Amino acid sequence: MPEHQISMVLDLNKCLGCQTCTMACKKLWTDGDGMDYMYWNNVETRPGQGYPRNWDRIGGGFENGKLRPSEIPSKEDYGQTFEYNYAERLFQGSGLQTMPNDEVRNTPNWDEDVGALMLGENYYFYLPRLCNHCTNPACLEACPRKAIYKRTEDGIVLVDQERCEGYRYCMKACPYKKIYFNELLGKAQKCIFCYPRIEKGEVNACAKQCPGRLRFVGFLDDPESAVHKLVHVYKVALGLFPEKGTEPNVFYVPPFNPPRTGSYGKSVLEDPRMPMDYLKYLFGGEVVDVIRSLEGELHRAQNGGTSEVLQLLIGRDDQVRYQIPKHEDLVQIQGVRKA
Amino acid sequence: MRHLALVLIGCCIGCHAAFAQGAPAPEATEWKAAAPATVALNRTPPLYVTDDPAQLEIPSVQMQVLRSATGTFIRLEWADKTHDTTALPKAERTWQGEHLVTQSEATGRFSDACALMISAKPLAGNLNPSLQMGDAAHPVRIYFWDSTRGPAILEATGRETTKRTGQVFPAQGQYAAGKWAVTMQLPDLPPGTPVAVAIWNGSQLDRDGRKYFSIWQPLR
Repeated sequence: MPEHQISMVLDLNKCLGCQTCTMACKKLWTDGDGMDYMYWNNVETRPGQGYPRNWDRIGGGFENGKLRPSEIPSKEDYGQTFEYNYAERLFQGSGLQTMPNDEVRNTPNWDEDVGALMLGENYYFYLPRLCNHCTNPACLEACPRKAIYKRTEDGIVLVDQERCEGYRYCMKACPYKKIYFNELLGKAQKCIFCYPRIEKGEVNACAKQCPGRLRFVGFLDDPESAVHKLVHVYKVALGLFPEKGTEPNVFYVPPFNPPRTGSYGKSVLEDPRMPMDYLKYLFGGEVVDVIRSLEGELHRAQNGGTSEVLQLLIGRDDQVRYQIPKHEDLVQIQGVRKA
Repeated sequence: MRHLALVLIGCCIGCHAAFAQGAPAPEATEWKAAAPATVALNRTPPLYVTDDPAQLEIPSVQMQVLRSATGTFIRLEWADKTHDTTALPKAERTWQGEHLVTQSEATGRFSDACALMISAKPLAGNLNPSLQMGDAAHPVRIYFWDSTRGPAILEATGRETTKRTGQVFPAQGQYAAGKWAVTMQLPDLPPGTPVAVAIWNGSQLDRDGRKYFSIWQPLR
């Protein structure tokens, strides 16, 4: 078990689906050879197939303490990578319009904004995803090379690129399918939680670039951190698929799920815009309590009161959202939740 | 006298240009002079709870040995209905001049491979190292050839200790008519040296300990 656990909370009510986080990560970490199809951070539309395709139904994680069967996604499940006919269109003046060079059958966020219908009304929301740096990582459990390790000082899960032989048991075991295979290097690669930045007290690139200011980063065992308050004090942030047994350390403030058009004044539980069962599917049964609690906070604010949790979720500036001590200062954090 | 004999063999076989370059090609005529030995293969049992059991699709491998002053040459040939290998993509230049290397379809695919394991130290008595990659007192050396990534020399002192040495060795592989033939140039291995063979079949999701293996065989 790590001495401290770094964590991220994402407020899904604020996500614009702009993919700025995705591109920040891509430019910083995955623009190398053999990494073209990898998005360590991606944003997918929910309900939807996700990235890689149907990752939530492939399997992985734990069941009764044992690894659950699963499959390694295929390249097409991750989505094709392709070029456009820019040279033809822009320099030679031929071709009718700018088009991909290949027939495109799947890409990350393939079903952007499609969503689903409930009682004739469309609903969807965006789900940004990264490695969950789990407390009980299935990838680490599955690796026969012991190439995956969880850092004591901050709980970040990393793949030792020297030891990794590209066997891909980790890809199979991860229930979130957040490990990728670099064919050129023959190695598994994944989100490193921007550890070189975190070590210096600097926030992750995805969070830094987020125009929606929806990401909160800090140590879960630091009682002063926003992440600690959102997860353990206000209890408004939940991990994705808790039943997969890996204890993720990335948490989400679920979509508040306001009442449908024409139902203002009704409780969200009375007349939700999207099926509560779908939110339960993603975040577990606790999501109902979280939404009830958020609704209560909202009513309080609407009635002229103050809501500490809503104020915190506004996340006005970096000091509110991020509490990342430099690693040499880590010893100062007194854990309330003994790691 | 022994030295002279080796030199004579070396001169005799050294006439062929292929030998001077390293391992003779899998289809080279020199191999006709080496009698093949059939080495029976076994399948490792499922090692992990999430692994499906695998059928014995490759029951044996043919092994041939040639010797010269430059080393011992081994040729392994086995029938494999599926040709599981990937041509690694090369760097391209896009229209903007940026570097781009696109991954192939290989995220869920594995490559055919083979390996020859020997004791890394002279053996005391008749006791061979453990087939499961030796142990601390009996290290093993593994000449590994992967159809996608080529040859590599590995070392191990027991299960889960296998590591790359960073060295390579001359080897060539060829797939034709449903058969793999791989030739390797190894250091001088006297007749009777115990060797163990492993074959990985990519289409059976073989990698790591999921593979075919032989028991120790005295080299001809």
